[in-house]
Amino acid sequence: MDLNAFESLAMDEEGDEEEEFGFSRNYFLARELGSSSRKKSGRKLSEIDLVDEQVLRAAVSEIRPKNEAGIEALLRSYKDQYSKWLFVLRCGFGLLMYGFGSKKVLLEDFASTALTDYDVIVINGYLPSINIKPVVVTIAELLQDKQQCRRKVSTGNKQRTQQQFNTLSIDDLLTYLNEEVEDVKDSFVCLVIHNIDGPALRDSESQQYLARMACCSNVRVIASIDHVNAPLLWDKKMVHTQFNWCWYHVPTFAPYKAEGVFFPLILASGTAAQCARTATIVLQSLNPNAQSVFKVLAEYQLANEKAEGMPGNTLYTKCRERFLVSSQVTLNSHLTEFRDHGLLKARKHSDGQDCLYIPLSSEALQKLLSDLG
Amino acid sequence: MALSPSTTCDFHSSPISTSNASDVSDNNLQHFFVLHKAPARKCERKSSSTYRRTKRKIDMLLSSPIKDTQEENDAIYEQLRLEAFENTWSKINSTVKEVLREINLTLFEEIRQWVFESFSTIRSASPVHMMKPYPIAAGATCKRIPAALIFTKNIEFVDDMLMFQDLKGYMQSNGCHVAFLSALDISTKCGIGSCLRSLYKQLVPEASDVVDVPLIASWYCKDENYDKPIAVIIEDMERCDSAVLADFIKMLSEWVMKIPIIFILGVTTFDALRKLLPSSVMHNLQLCKFTLESPIRRMDSLIEYVLVRPSFGFFIGHKVALFLRNHFLRHDGTITSFLKALKLACVKHFSGEPLSFLCPGMLHDDCEAFWSGKCESLSEVLRSYAFDLPSCQRGKTTGDNNLSQGLSKLKWLQNSWSSVLLCLLEVGKLSKIQLLDIFCEAIDPTLCSGWALGQQLLPPLTASHDSVNGGFISQAIQKVRELPSDSLCQLLGQWSLHTAEVIEMDKEVKAVHSMINLPSDGHTSKEKQTVNINGCLASSARKKGKPFLNDEAAMLLVSLLRKFLVPIESVPFHEIFCFKDVSSLKSALIGDPRSVIQDDLLKSGEYLQSTSCSRREHVLSSSIHDTAIMYSLAQEYGDLINLHDWYHSFKTKVLISNPKAKRKAQHSPASEKGKSKALENEVSIQARFCKAVTELQITGLIRMPSKRRPDFLQRIAFNL
Repeated sequence: MDLNAFESLAMDEEGDEEEEFGFSRNYFLARELGSSSRKKSGRKLSEIDLVDEQVLRAAVSEIRPKNEAGIEALLRSYKDQYSKWLFVLRCGFGLLMYGFGSKKVLLEDFASTALTDYDVIVINGYLPSINIKPVVVTIAELLQDKQQCRRKVSTGNKQRTQQQFNTLSIDDLLTYLNEEVEDVKDSFVCLVIHNIDGPALRDSESQQYLARMACCSNVRVIASIDHVNAPLLWDKKMVHTQFNWCWYHVPTFAPYKAEGVFFPLILASGTAAQCARTATIVLQSLNPNAQSVFKVLAEYQLANEKAEGMPGNTLYTKCRERFLVSSQVTLNSHLTEFRDHGLLKARKHSDGQDCLYIPLSSEALQKLLSDLG
Repeated sequence: MALSPSTTCDFHSSPISTSNASDVSDNNLQHFFVLHKAPARKCERKSSSTYRRTKRKIDMLLSSPIKDTQEENDAIYEQLRLEAFENTWSKINSTVKEVLREINLTLFEEIRQWVFESFSTIRSASPVHMMKPYPIAAGATCKRIPAALIFTKNIEFVDDMLMFQDLKGYMQSNGCHVAFLSALDISTKCGIGSCLRSLYKQLVPEASDVVDVPLIASWYCKDENYDKPIAVIIEDMERCDSAVLADFIKMLSEWVMKIPIIFILGVTTFDALRKLLPSSVMHNLQLCKFTLESPIRRMDSLIEYVLVRPSFGFFIGHKVALFLRNHFLRHDGTITSFLKALKLACVKHFSGEPLSFLCPGMLHDDCEAFWSGKCESLSEVLRSYAFDLPSCQRGKTTGDNNLSQGLSKLKWLQNSWSSVLLCLLEVGKLSKIQLLDIFCEAIDPTLCSGWALGQQLLPPLTASHDSVNGGFISQAIQKVRELPSDSLCQLLGQWSLHTAEVIEMDKEVKAVHSMINLPSDGHTSKEKQTVNINGCLASSARKKGKPFLNDEAAMLLVSLLRKFLVPIESVPFHEIFCFKDVSSLKSALIGDPRSVIQDDLLKSGEYLQSTSCSRREHVLSSSIHDTAIMYSLAQEYGDLINLHDWYHSFKTKVLISNPKAKRKAQHSPASEKGKSKALENEVSIQARFCKAVTELQITGLIRMPSKRRPDFLQRIAFNL
């Protein structure tokens, strides 16, 4: 490259480089500040007069957002762009929304006003656990419905029932989603993913499946991210050829109501006891069978308050009797899930047997059971 | 007049409600849910009969100006723009694929020949028992699998995926069984079983999931499969799990006589391969090396065929071109990301430019008829929009009031621009200047004044070529002066091909071409004889004519450039075809959440300005978002934030901004009522603090306290 070109490039990029310098300078400044402030301030959290966790949680849920009018006006201002977003979506790009503030309301409003002509599925990526396969099955069913409606021929022949979709592997389902439909343009299922960078979707397997879904000809993705490092989830192939993102900066400053539920409160007494409410929320996000297994355990614990816990094999027998699990493996997978969310602990019984118990008080358990219904 | 296409649908009727959370709270905890289904009439509308109805409506709109509602008109124009985009992009896309395939074709052919040679070598080595799956060969010499190493010249493998897909198609159509394994198939998680399964499924699509090597062997022994080699392509070897890959190769090498597998492996360097596989496994591969074309060469072809040669009806402005060049050279150097950027530019153009549905007219043979038809039926709004375009305003002195004629003139100018630029590119190829650079210089709108207006002002180019636009074009002109006569003659031959369609240009080129051709043709036979007798004589004869002819050619090029290299941005109505909004392209292409989210927090006031909060400083601060307050407070700390201090500074800040609460807290601590108020206040501040910390945690700007340092939060991003 000759010198002129190099200079022009250098001029173009001067701003960027300055930014980079600034960035590293800031980092080192911060390190320096950090070391000096650590010397100065060793104040303990316990010096604050902390209120009770229950009260705190109640107060958190009652916070009214400041400047609601401003937030509302900001959200309304994005409505002007809906038609452009739709255009970009129809041209085959995925929409990726970022910026501070919950974008849940914005995305759902966009979907329910601008995407009325399309099927829309919403994934709540901020939940602690998500199974992708049912989503793919549902998309396949929606597509099938649409095709049948279009064909208007007898539905008896090649109809794949829901059961059949369920039995297909995820690869086969993706192949089905990618099948080109002749004569039909502009017919796709929209997949809205709140927090595609959420905790349950952060593993590379989930992202791979989402990416493969996104590049199916009959699927379009509208997603939001909140984490500053979210782009690290994707490699070049995923970004350019599968998700095919078109970025939009849409700060909303709306409170992260649904997204923040699963985070512990910093001023609460910490990880010691999960309160009934959080437990309920976690349980509600699990499937009905898992909930029932939990109920069996909770009921046993309430009935035998003095016991050290429920022996594992007793739990298995009871669950089998009620047709909740078919094998020890299934039960174990439920138990692992409970354990991961701090809903279950194990200890040795005095006779050496392993016992399972829920680390909640009886009152909390009762409330939990009544909440679960 | 600024006309916004965003008025096409009315989404404004209902305000967005942030508070109706209760009725959707059930949905909030579902893993997923169906928000709504497409109405049944959508299916109907999409069926061909109703599609025709919409089409008819569009035609009607175009044939006679309908006084319909604005909204409906807008929706129809939007549909037209979408169709125009699809039309344009599908043409660009197919050209891109064609160009890339052409570049690889020679390599594919070499690989194909090698594959068949290797296949026949395997065949000749094992004449016995070939038609039966057992017994497998035992000799060590027979356990080597031929493997073609394709050195990809990119750090990123994403560009090569398309090439490998093409290669697969090429090999299939040339009599090979082909299977394509990706790094996902060869991973520790799935193990060797998944490799075999994927291999077998691709060879036998209707196969079941249960598979082993003898099964593949017996499939291969069938008459219809027997005569072809099996090419197994692994596109990105370095991403594969080395242990699984080594096992896979070892296993297949045992069977190579029964199943003549031939690997085609994508790899960056030979060292990478050696690091990946143990030497014992390397011994089982019989390597042959192939090299891909460099990304720069591919890029040059793309520039020529997509942005210069034909007009697809979509052009990019100078700034966009510079951005794309820098994006390619400095971002990741992949064609894929360049093409994505180009597509995004195209989408942005068709979504933002109300008249962009006129673009496909460029492709019509009788473009003037096409345009005049469309222009007559334009709504009044769009018509006045067209004549209010800045470029049209500039050229208004000419008194040209006909849109379709203006567009036709633009097409003519563009064709001439393209022809003369192709001539320049031919020189560029000879002097190894990147076409991308010449292209960027040739669409610079400031060039127009330099070439056309400065015709008399500029000193003769022979004297100071460097002063002319100082860049690649002047280098190219200089190159013409230095060319040996053979190459000059060839070059002029190329030029006359490129300029054949523009009569005026064609004449000038032909004149100079014949000038060069005549003496050289006359000399060739004589010269050959002279060389035989005395080499010096011939060369001196050639030298005499050389500077003159070279100067003639250079002058020709300069005059062509002056007359015809009119950058699109200086032509009236170019906005309809040319995308110039580089900032919107940049923001859509590269999101930068890391700095942008921090910026949002530090400048929250700019986004949340409501009418009530612009008076006094403390009034303003009371309306600042809690999380924004917390984040700006966090700026005062280093990489660790003391929770206690942070909480207290937040509390102070909040109390200052809310003087009433402060007064209450200060003046009535004694009374019971005051105490409970203060407690209430404390609770709410703690709650707000917790919420803000949670929100910062969601954005990933801070990390929760560790067990080692329970009283400190860690800051993660620093971009003050």
